[in-house]
Amino acid sequence: MIAFVAFSLRRAWQGLWHNRLMSVAATATMVLMLALLSGLIILLTGLDATLKYVEQEVQVVAYLKDSANPQDVNLLETALGQMPQVTEVSYVSKDQALTDFLGRHPDEAEVVNSLPTNPLPASLQINLRDPNDYLDVAAYLRNQPPVDRVLNIKQTVDQMVTVIGILRAGGIGVLVVVGLIVLFIIVNTIRLAVVSRADEIEIMRLVGASDAFIRWPFIFEGALVGLFGALITIAVLWLGQGPITTVMADYFKVLPVEASATVGRDVALVVLGTGVGIGVLGSYLSIRSYLIR
Amino acid sequence: MAMVSAVSSDSGPSQPRLPGTPGKPAGKPVRSRVVLAMEGVTKSYPNGKVALRGVDLVVPEGDFVFLVGPSGAGKSTIIKLLIRDEMATKGVVLLDGRDLARLKRKEVPRIRRKIGIVFQDFKLLPHKSVRENVAFALEVTGAPRRSIGPVVDRVLRVVGLTGQADQLPGQLSGGEQQRTAIARALVHNPRLFIADEPTGNLDPLISWEIIQLLLRINELGVTVLMATHNAEVVTALRKRVVALEDGRVVRDQTEAAYHRED
Ligand SMILES: Nc1ncnc2c1ncn2[C@@H]1O[C@H](COP(=O)(O)OP(=O)(O)OP(=O)(O)O)[C@@H](O)[C@H]1O
Ligand SMILES: [Mg+2]
Repeated sequence: MIAFVAFSLRRAWQGLWHNRLMSVAATATMVLMLALLSGLIILLTGLDATLKYVEQEVQVVAYLKDSANPQDVNLLETALGQMPQVTEVSYVSKDQALTDFLGRHPDEAEVVNSLPTNPLPASLQINLRDPNDYLDVAAYLRNQPPVDRVLNIKQTVDQMVTVIGILRAGGIGVLVVVGLIVLFIIVNTIRLAVVSRADEIEIMRLVGASDAFIRWPFIFEGALVGLFGALITIAVLWLGQGPITTVMADYFKVLPVEASATVGRDVALVVLGTGVGIGVLGSYLSIRSYLIR
Repeated sequence: MAMVSAVSSDSGPSQPRLPGTPGKPAGKPVRSRVVLAMEGVTKSYPNGKVALRGVDLVVPEGDFVFLVGPSGAGKSTIIKLLIRDEMATKGVVLLDGRDLARLKRKEVPRIRRKIGIVFQDFKLLPHKSVRENVAFALEVTGAPRRSIGPVVDRVLRVVGLTGQADQLPGQLSGGEQQRTAIARALVHNPRLFIADEPTGNLDPLISWEIIQLLLRINELGVTVLMATHNAEVVTALRKRVVALEDGRVVRDQTEAAYHRED
């Protein structure tokens, strides 16, 4: 068994070396494809973070009656805080509302000051886990005694949910399509490498080599191409990490979203797994037609 | 079916009379082993081309058989059936007593090691030396590494290539390349040696050298089946000749001549 693995590895290495040109071509293809794939994954991670942020921005705003009993308001706040759809509830008092308003519109200060009372209502601002829950929470709020009215942004929320849905699906769609193209190209590159050695395979069959002895060296070879391709890709990404993170950081500065700290590691793992996996799969598929019928 | 059992590896006295068995008078019970037997073999390729039609052929151990016939007669097809590269459409192919149609896929490599085979194009690996080309056949069949060297030395001695062991095929003459291929075909001590047009790419003098080598291998007890167009060689040697035409055996004679009509 150990002898067999040693044999297969030795043959795989010989195969790579004797067919340097093919090996380099296959590895280069692998690097290009894996770089394409990881670039896409990084972009999509950014997109997803953005979408999450936008989703979290959806707030249900419930204006409270001036006559509302503070105790009822407190109870309502607690009840909301316990709803699974809700991530955060904050109470904005009448005074706070006024300060906020003046902060945004300093020109209006005179007009506001000339009024006998503060015209702005107190409100509850509720952050949602998922914008799709907007209607439920809004409906719940409308039936609560302290609530005067619920700010109606249903249409805006609906549009946003649709757009986000399309973007997500589109991202996954692009990833799947690119993934399939990558698979196709790599499998075909490896097939070329195998076909260029058809003579060798024919001789192996003629002298009575078993399928295992024919197949495994090629599978190891595919795995090695995948491994080298993946390592080179990771090295390239590592070197490009500086510029990439600068761009990404600028981007993430605009949106106060936490860039997932594990993006780098995740991408490296995906690259490694995809590289070796496709290398093995490519060899397996290519060698199949040469084995005993 | 009766014949099929009769030619199995432990064939009894009821064995059919075999053409071309020298020194074995008919009537006397013979216990010679049959290396290969085909009975009623028909082969049609997937494209509908019928390459063999009802071929019967029995070759006892130690025979030297020429397979002749015009181009497209089906000689190479017979060989492909014997190494189980192709399967018979109808009929039975027995190799060393084993029915190739009933062979499990896993058993095929083992059966192939009972056959040594060479072709017109020598099928050598260009980046490997003579020694490495020969050793390759042992490596890829899982021979222990230590056992490989002595076997390679022995077969290189048989074909007379000890001196060229470290040269690449590109540095050899055609005859030497074919002898390398023959050495490689001998590493598993085959029971049957098949040569498909082994001299097709060689000039007459070198061809004779190769034929001499095949005769020597035959003298060592290996059954030889050689497909050829070389009428001169066939006629001169007076061996058993099986002639094919359009997929049929039209002649099966011992000590025969061969005159090409194509
Ligand atoms: N794989 C294949 N698919 C379809 N037809 C085939 C195939 N191999 C051979 N044939 C056909 O079968 C017939 C017999 O071919 P075969 O190679 O056995 O002839 P041959 O006697 O060896 O001829 P040659 O002397 O030219 O080598 C030919 O008509 C050939 O075209
Ligand atoms: Mg032929």
